[in-house]
Amino acid sequence: MDAIVEVRDLAKQFKRQNGEAFFAVDGVDLDIMRGEIFSLLGPNGAGKTTTIAMISGLLNPTRGSATIGGHSIIDDPIAAKKLLGVIPQEIALYPTLTARQNLEFFGRMYDLDGAELRTRVDEVLEFIDLTDRQHDKVETFSGGMKRRVNIGVGLLHNPQLLYMDEPTVGIDPQNRRRILDTVVRLRDEKQMTVLYTSHLMEEVQQISDRVGIIDHGKIIALGTVGDLIHKIGEEDRLVFKVGDQAVPEALLERFKAEVEGVSSATYEKLEIKGENGDAPVDIRSTSSLQIADGTITVMAQRGRKALPDLLQIANQAGLDVLSVEVREPDLEAVFLSMTGRALRD
Amino acid sequence: MLRKIWAIAYKELYLTYTDRNQILIILVTPLALATIIGAAFSGFLSPGGNDVPIRNIPVAVVNLDAGTEANGTTINNGQTFVDLLVPPDDISDEDLAANTLYQLTNAIETDDAEAARAAVDRDEIAAAIIIPADFSASLAFADGTTITPVEVYGSAASPTAATIIRSIAETITAQIVTGNITVAATIEALTARAQDDPAFGITFAAASSLGGFQPDFAPAFNPDNNPVRIEQQTVSGEAVAFNPLVAFGAAQAVFFMMFTALTGANNLLEEQRTGTLQRLIASPTPRIVILLGKLVGTFFKCVVQVTLLVLALTLVGSLIGGELQFIWGNNLLLIALTIIAVALAASGLGALVTSLVRSPEQGNVIGGVIALAMGALGGAFFNVQAIPELQTLQQLTIVYWGVDAFTALSMNQTDIGLNLAVLLGLGAAMFAAGVVIFTRRLNI
Ligand SMILES: Nc1ncnc2c1ncn2[C@@H]1O[C@H](COP(=O)(O)OP(=O)(O)OP(=O)(O)O)[C@@H](O)[C@H]1O
Ligand SMILES: [Mg+2]
Repeated sequence: MDAIVEVRDLAKQFKRQNGEAFFAVDGVDLDIMRGEIFSLLGPNGAGKTTTIAMISGLLNPTRGSATIGGHSIIDDPIAAKKLLGVIPQEIALYPTLTARQNLEFFGRMYDLDGAELRTRVDEVLEFIDLTDRQHDKVETFSGGMKRRVNIGVGLLHNPQLLYMDEPTVGIDPQNRRRILDTVVRLRDEKQMTVLYTSHLMEEVQQISDRVGIIDHGKIIALGTVGDLIHKIGEEDRLVFKVGDQAVPEALLERFKAEVEGVSSATYEKLEIKGENGDAPVDIRSTSSLQIADGTITVMAQRGRKALPDLLQIANQAGLDVLSVEVREPDLEAVFLSMTGRALRD
Repeated sequence: MLRKIWAIAYKELYLTYTDRNQILIILVTPLALATIIGAAFSGFLSPGGNDVPIRNIPVAVVNLDAGTEANGTTINNGQTFVDLLVPPDDISDEDLAANTLYQLTNAIETDDAEAARAAVDRDEIAAAIIIPADFSASLAFADGTTITPVEVYGSAASPTAATIIRSIAETITAQIVTGNITVAATIEALTARAQDDPAFGITFAAASSLGGFQPDFAPAFNPDNNPVRIEQQTVSGEAVAFNPLVAFGAAQAVFFMMFTALTGANNLLEEQRTGTLQRLIASPTPRIVILLGKLVGTFFKCVVQVTLLVLALTLVGSLIGGELQFIWGNNLLLIALTIIAVALAASGLGALVTSLVRSPEQGNVIGGVIALAMGALGGAFFNVQAIPELQTLQQLTIVYWGVDAFTALSMNQTDIGLNLAVLLGLGAAMFAAGVVIFTRRLNI
C-alpha cells in the first residue's frame, strides 16, 4: 500500500499570551495509506487541529513538510488541495444561505459547474439525508443537521482524501453513530482515505484502521488498535468514582503495595472545560484536594480479581466509593500508561 | 478562475442584498443624507429664499484700481466688484431682498487696504477683497495671462465664509476676463470673416450701423441675472456654473461609499471567524482569486451605493430648483466612469485594509479612522481649501479626486483623465499590496 499523505518532522510554534513560545505540533511524522481510516487521538490542545491546518495549507509550518498525493502542500498547494476534502471542527457554513446554496457555492470552489455540480449536490444531499430540507436556510437547522451539511461540503468533489476534525463534538449519540457509519461507508463504498481526529477513544477504536496518539504536539504511539493495546501489556482498568471526597496519596500507595497485579493507581478529578470546549482549565492534581467528580484509576493484570481487595482498602480508609467500572484494555489505557493522564471526554 | 471570482462576488452580493438590515442601510443612508444636505442647501440655491443658511458675511471691498483708457473712455473694472457687492444707498428693500449677493454678503466699501486687513485679523470681517491699482490696466491686454490678481484676504476664524468670498471674487474676476476675451475674440472673428466673405461683411456692417449687433456680455454684469450661483474660475479662464450641492454631495457620497467598501472588507474577517474563509483557502482556489472575488463584490456594492446617492442628490437638487434637473452634468459616460473609478479605488483600499487587520473589530476601527480621515481631508465635513497645509495631503485621498471629478463633470468639463488615472492607480496599487500581504499571511 502506498501513502497518500506523507508528513515529515512537521512542527508549529505559537506564542502564548505571555509571549512565551511553544510548539503546538512538535516533529510529527506520519504516513497515511490509501483507503485507510487513520485517526489522530489526543486530548484537548494536543495539536490535532494545528496539524490538520498545516497539512491543508491553512497554516504555515515552522518546520517540516507535508505532501498529498506527492504534491507539496507548500510548494504546489492547488494540486494538493484538489485531492483533499476538509471537514472542519467548527461548523463553517453561510447561515443565511440554504443547504443547497451552501453546497453549490463550495462546489464551485472545487471547480464543479453546470450539470455536474447539480448532480453532485443532489448526491451529497441524498448522502447526508437532507434532500427534503435542501431549500431551507442553514440557520434554521438543528445542530446535527448543520453538522451533516458541514460534512457534505467536504464530500462534494469526491475527494480521494478527507480530513475530519472532531466531527462528533457536541453531537447526540444517535447522530454520532450516524456520522461514524458515514466515515466507514466512505472508506468502504468510495475508497476514500480518511484522516479522523478525536479525543474520544471509543469512536476511534471503533472505526480506525490505524491510530496515532498525539500529546503535547508529539506522536507518542502509532499503529493498529490491536498493536497499541498489545504494547501496554493488556491490563484491565478499574475506575472508582469518589465524588468530592479527599483521596490521600497514601491510599494509592496501599493499592499498589497490597493488591496483587496492580501496576498503577492514580487519582484525578474531572477536568472543567472552558466555555468553547477547547481551552481546558487545568485543575488536575494528584494531591488530596476537595473537588467534585474525583476518580481513582487503577491498572491491574486481572481487574475483576483485584476489585474486592481494592474496595476493602478504600473502605478501611473511610472512602465512600460511589461507583466502580472495570474496563478491558483500550486506547484510553494506552494513553494513560504512556502519559500517566486520562484522555477524558 | 473568472468563474470562481464571480461565484465569490455573487455570493457576497446575494448575502448583502438578501439581508434586510443591509438593504435598510443601503436605501436609508442616501435618503437621510440627501435630506440633510438638501436642508442645508435649500436656501443657498434658491434666489431670494429667506432661509439662506449663510448670509450677511461681513466683507470689505477695497477698490484701488486706477482704471485704464480705452477708445477714449475710462474703464474701471475694480468698480464692478463694488457695484456687484455693495448695495447702492438708495436701494429699495425689495431689490435688496431679491439680490442673492447682497443677501449673502454684508459688504462695505473702503479705500484703506491696511485697515481692511487689520479688520480681518481682528475677525471683525470675514474677508477683504482688495483690487490692485493696475487691475484694469493689466486686463487691457485681454489675453488673461498678465492679470494682476485680486487679493482676497480671508479670516482663518471663518474659513467657510472666507472661501465663499474667495469664490465670489474669482467669479467676478472670471466674468470680467471672459467678457473682455469674448468681446475681443468675437469682434476679431467677425471682422476677419467680414473681410473673407463680402456677403457677410455687408450684413455685418448693416447690423452694426443699425445697432443690431451688440456684444453679448452685458448680462454677465447684471446683478439680478447672475449671482444666484457662486461660480468658480476654471483653468481655462471660462466661468461656469458651480453647484455647491455637487461638491458637498459628492464628498458625502464618496465618504459613505468608503464605509461600504471597508465593511465589505471586514466581511472577509467575519468569514475567517466563522471558518468559511478557511474552507475557501483549503479548496483549490488561489488566494488572489478569493481576494479578487471579494473585490468585485465590494466594487458592485460601492457602485450601487454611489449611484443611489447620486440619484438621491439629484432628487434633492431638483426639489430645491423646483424643476427636474440633473445636477451632475451631461456627460453620462464620464459620470459612470468616475463612479467606477471611485468604487474601484475604494474597493482596493478595502482589500488592503482586510489584509492588514486581524479581526473584524480591528477592521472596523482602522477602516473607520481611514474613512473619516479621507472624508475630512476630502472636504466631506469642512472646506479644506481654507487650510493650505492640508491641500497637499488631501491629494492622497480618494474623496478628493472623486469629488474633483464630479465637480468638473457637473460644470461640463471633461478633463478628468488625471482624476481617473489617479483613482484607478490608487485602487490597483492598494489591491496589489493587499494581495501580497494576504498571500504571505499564511497563518489564517
Ligand atoms: N493561533 C494560535 N496561537 C497560539 N496558540 C495556539 C493557536 N492555535 C492553537 N494554539 C494552541 O496550540 C495547542 C494545540 O491546539 P489545537 O487546536 O491544535 O489542539 P487540538 O488537539 O485540536 O485540541 P481540541 O481537541 O481541543 O480541538 C493548544 O495549546 C492551543 O491553545
Ligand atoms: Mg481541535
